Amino acid sequence: MYDTIVIGAGIAGMLAAIGRAEAGERVLVLAKGHGATHWAAGCLDLLDIGDGDPLAGVESLIADHPDHPYALAGVDAVQAGAARLRAVCEAGGYPLVGSLRRNLLLPTAVGALRTTCLVPATMAAGDARQLPKEGDGGGPLLIAGFRKLRDFFPPMVAANLRAQGFAAEGAYLALPPSDRTLDFSTVSFARLFDQPAFRADVGRQLRQLVQRGGYSRIGLPAVLGLANATQVVGDLQAAAGALIFEIPTLPASVPGMRLYRMLEAALLRAGGRMQIGAFVQRAEAQGDRLDAIYTEAAAREQRHRAARYILATGGIAGGGVRAVDATTLVETALGLPLRTPNARADWFAARFLNETGHPVFRSGVATDSQLRPLDAAGQVVYQNVAIAGSALAGCDSIREGSLEGIAAATGWMAGRA
Amino acid sequence: MQTISTDVLVIGGGATGLGCVRDLAMRGMRAVLVEKGDLTHGTTGRYHGLLHSGGRYVTKDPQSATECAIENAILRRIMPSSIEDTSGFFVVTPWDDPDYGDVFEANCHKTGVPVQEISVDEMLRREPALNPQISRVFEVHDGSADSFLAAHTNARSAREHGAQVLTYHSVVGLIREGDAVVGATVEDLRSGEQKRIDCAFVLNAAGAWAGKIAAMAGVKVTVVPGKGTMVAMNHRMVNTVINRCKLPADGDIIVPIHTVAVIGTTDIHVPDPDVYGIEPEEVQLMLDEGEKLVPGFKQHRALRAWAGVRPLYKDQDVVNDRDISRTYKLLDHAQRDGVDGIISMVGGKWTTYRLMAKDAVDEIARRMGNTQPCRTADEVMPAPDFDHHSGNHAGEGAPSLYWLGKHLAAVEQEHAYGDLICECELVTRARMQAAIDSGAKNLDDVRRDVRMGMGPCQGGWCIYRTTAMLYEQRTAQPGADAIQSSTFTIQHANAALLHFLQERWKGLTPVLWGDQLRQARLDELIYVNVMGAHRLRSHAEQGGGLVTDHPEVATEYVKA
Repeated sequence: MYDTIVIGAGIAGMLAAIGRAEAGERVLVLAKGHGATHWAAGCLDLLDIGDGDPLAGVESLIADHPDHPYALAGVDAVQAGAARLRAVCEAGGYPLVGSLRRNLLLPTAVGALRTTCLVPATMAAGDARQLPKEGDGGGPLLIAGFRKLRDFFPPMVAANLRAQGFAAEGAYLALPPSDRTLDFSTVSFARLFDQPAFRADVGRQLRQLVQRGGYSRIGLPAVLGLANATQVVGDLQAAAGALIFEIPTLPASVPGMRLYRMLEAALLRAGGRMQIGAFVQRAEAQGDRLDAIYTEAAAREQRHRAARYILATGGIAGGGVRAVDATTLVETALGLPLRTPNARADWFAARFLNETGHPVFRSGVATDSQLRPLDAAGQVVYQNVAIAGSALAGCDSIREGSLEGIAAATGWMAGRA
Repeated sequence: MQTISTDVLVIGGGATGLGCVRDLAMRGMRAVLVEKGDLTHGTTGRYHGLLHSGGRYVTKDPQSATECAIENAILRRIMPSSIEDTSGFFVVTPWDDPDYGDVFEANCHKTGVPVQEISVDEMLRREPALNPQISRVFEVHDGSADSFLAAHTNARSAREHGAQVLTYHSVVGLIREGDAVVGATVEDLRSGEQKRIDCAFVLNAAGAWAGKIAAMAGVKVTVVPGKGTMVAMNHRMVNTVINRCKLPADGDIIVPIHTVAVIGTTDIHVPDPDVYGIEPEEVQLMLDEGEKLVPGFKQHRALRAWAGVRPLYKDQDVVNDRDISRTYKLLDHAQRDGVDGIISMVGGKWTTYRLMAKDAVDEIARRMGNTQPCRTADEVMPAPDFDHHSGNHAGEGAPSLYWLGKHLAAVEQEHAYGDLICECELVTRARMQAAIDSGAKNLDDVRRDVRMGMGPCQGGWCIYRTTAMLYEQRTAQPGADAIQSSTFTIQHANAALLHFLQERWKGLTPVLWGDQLRQARLDELIYVNVMGAHRLRSHAEQGGGLVTDHPEVATEYVKA
C-alpha cells in the first residue's frame, strides 16, 4: 500500500512523484514507457507569444480561458512548477537558463526559429537575438554536424538562417575515430561525446574552422554528451575558441533523455520507486474513490493500491488518450470520461499545419480546480485522483507552445502534499 | 517557340503511354511522350498493385481474362524486378454464393486462366490468418506489381531505344490542319515555356483524361472516371493475393505488396478525374469487407487511404459502371470521326498495358509503312538506378523477381544500416540520392520512386532527411552525375517539405485512429514543436517551383 501512485513517467508525473516523495510519502511511479520527454526538444516551453512576456501571456490566457490547464493550476503553480524543474536539473549539474518573462528564439534542425522559455545551458548561446546578422561585420555563425548523423543537416540549417538575415555557414566535420563504424544514432553520438578523446578531436577540428572562418558561435546537433553535457560543451568552447550551442534533432532527443535522467535521479534520491514497462489497464473503485489499479507486465496482472492516484499518462502522443476506432476516444488507464470534439467530422483541419491545430488533439480529461476528474455532468468521478500534464483537456499544448509549462505546473500542483 | 519534330507524340505517362513509347522506339520510330505530372502521376500510380491472373474477369469479361493470363506470364519475364510472385487465392466465404465456385473454375478453364482448387486445410497452412469458415479455395497466378518501378523501367528502356520522355509537360492544344491532327502545343510546367511538337500521329494514352485530350481534336470520347478507393494496412496479414470468389464487387481483394497489404476497391462514377474525395463510408466498407476475409483485419493499423480513377471507356449505354468492359479499345478517329492523325487507346488495365501498346503501335506502324515486328515481349528491361541491383541483378544469370526481403538483404550485404534515410521502407542514402538525381521535382516524386514516406511513420523522420538531401544535392558543387540547378534555393527545399507534409496529411486523415493517430501527433510534435517547420512558410517559394501545385496537375484527393 502506497500513499501515492503516479501513472506516467513524463515531466508531469515525475514532478508530482518527486514532490510527494520529498514530502515523505511512499510513492510508486508506474509507466508503460518513458513517455514523450524523449521526443521533445528538452526545453521548457511556456507559451509562444512571439516577442512578448510569456508569463503575462499565461495570465491573460488564464483570464480568457477558465478551462485551460494553466487556469486550473493558476499562475503561482506555473512559476512554482518551472522553478521545481529548474531545481531538479540544477541539482544534477545540468542547469536550465532563461526567464519566465522573456522567451528565447532558438534555431531548429531546419533552421527555423522556435520559441521556448527555459533551456539547458548547452543551448543558450543559440538565442537568435545574439546571433550575428548579415552585414554586422562580426564573426559569422557556423552550423556543423556529421554526415553519419541522419538527423541533422548543417547546410539546410545554415541556408534557412541566411534566408532570415543571419550570417551563417554550414559544414560537415570528420568523424573522429571510435569503436563504432556502421550505425550512428543521436544517442550513440552522445555517448561518444561523453568520451574525452572523441570530443577533443571534434574540438581540434572546430578550432581549425574558427581560425579559418573567424566564427563567433557554433551550432552543433544536440548530441553533446548524455551524462556530462555541460562539461562537454565547456570543453568544446575552450578548444574551439567560440561559443557553442546545441540544436535539437529528430527524436530520439538527447536533451529530452537528459531531462528524464534528472527527474529519475531526483525521484530515487527522495526514496520514490519506479516500475517501467507496467501498463495500467484497469481500475477498481469503491463509490467515488479509486481503490486499486492493475498493471500488465511479464505475462501477469499485478494489483497496486494507494490512498491517492495521479494520472499523468499524456495525451494522444503519450498514449493516455487513444482513438480505439474511427469515432471513439478513450482514456486508457482508468477509463475516465473525456472531453472530446463532438463528431469525427470535427477532428481534423484540412491543412496539416493549420494555425489552430486539429481539434481531436485537444481531447483530454476535464477536471475541477484540484485537478480531480469530472464527468459530463461536472461531477467529480474520483475524489482521490488528480490529472496532470497532457492528459488534461482544453488545450493544444504543441500549437500553443506550452507543452512542458503545463506539465510542470500541473505536475507540481499534483505533487503538493 | 521551340519546335520538336517526331513521328509519334504519345500523350500520357502512365503504363499505357510508356508501353507505347517503348514499343514505338523499339520498332525504330521516332517518339516523344509527354506527361503533365511525374510518371504514374495518374491512375497507374494509384492502383492496388495487382498483377492479374485473369481470374477476376473469367465470367463477366472472358476476353480480358485471357489477355491477363497471357500478359501475366510475359510481364514476369520482361520486368522481374517490378513483380512479386505472391500467387493468389479465390475464396468462397459464407457471404458468397456457394455455387459460383464451380462456375468460376469452369470459366477459368474456358478462358485459359490457370487454376487449381486446393483444400481449406492447405489454404490455412499457407495463410493462417484467413477466415477458417471459407469453404472452397482456388489458386491462380496472381502477383503484385510495383507500378512506379515498372513505369521507370519502361521509360528507361524507351530512352535507351531513342525515345524522348518529357514529364511535367502538359498538352495545351492539338494542332489541326483541315481534317488531320499534325501536332500539339505543350507547356513545360516548370518553366512555363511552350513548345510545339510536330508529328505524323498523336497517340492519346491519357487514361481517365483521354476524353479531355480527344476534345482538343474536336472528337468526342466518353471515358467514365470510375473512382476506386483503397486502404493500405501496415501488415502483410497475408502473403498471397486474396480475392473473393464472386463477381467483382467493392472491397473484395487484398493485395500484399512490399511491406503492406492493400484492400480495394470501390467503384464510384465521378464527373471529373481531377476532383474527388474519399468518403468515410468507403473506408468503413473496406475494413468491414476485409474482416470477412481476415478476422481481426480492423485491428491492424491502417496506414493511408487513397483513390484512383479507372479509365473506363463507355461504348454504349451501360447502367452500372462495374458492367463496363475492362478490356481496352483502340479508337481510330479517322474511321470513327473523320479526323486523321490521332488514335486513342482507352480502357484496359495495368496488367494488359503491353498488349494495348502493341495493338496501338501495330496500327500506327501499318499506316506509316513500318514493318518491324513488336519485340516488347522478348526483351528484358533494365531496372532504374534507384532500384537495388543485388542478387542476380549484378549480371550473373537472369534477373530475379522482386521478393519481400530484397531490400533488407541488400542493406545487410552492404552493411548499410547507418545509411537508412527512410527506415520504414529501407531506403538507403545511395538509393535516395539516385532517386533525387533521376530528376525528382519534389518529395512526392521521390516517394513514388523509392516508397520514401510510405511506411508506418508516414514520413516523420524521412521527410526532413530527404528535404535536406534534396537541398544539398541540388545546390552542391558540380559533380559527375548530379543534377545541379543554379536556381534551386532553400526556399524551394522549404516548399518541398511543406508540400509533402500536406500531401501525406491528405492520405492520412481518412484512416487516423489508434496508433496511426498517435503517429500523426508525434509527427506534429516533430515538425511543429521541435522543427518549427510552420515558420518556414514565409521562407518558402510560393508554389515552390513545385509543379504538382500547378492547377493542371493538382488533384484534390480530399475535400477541403
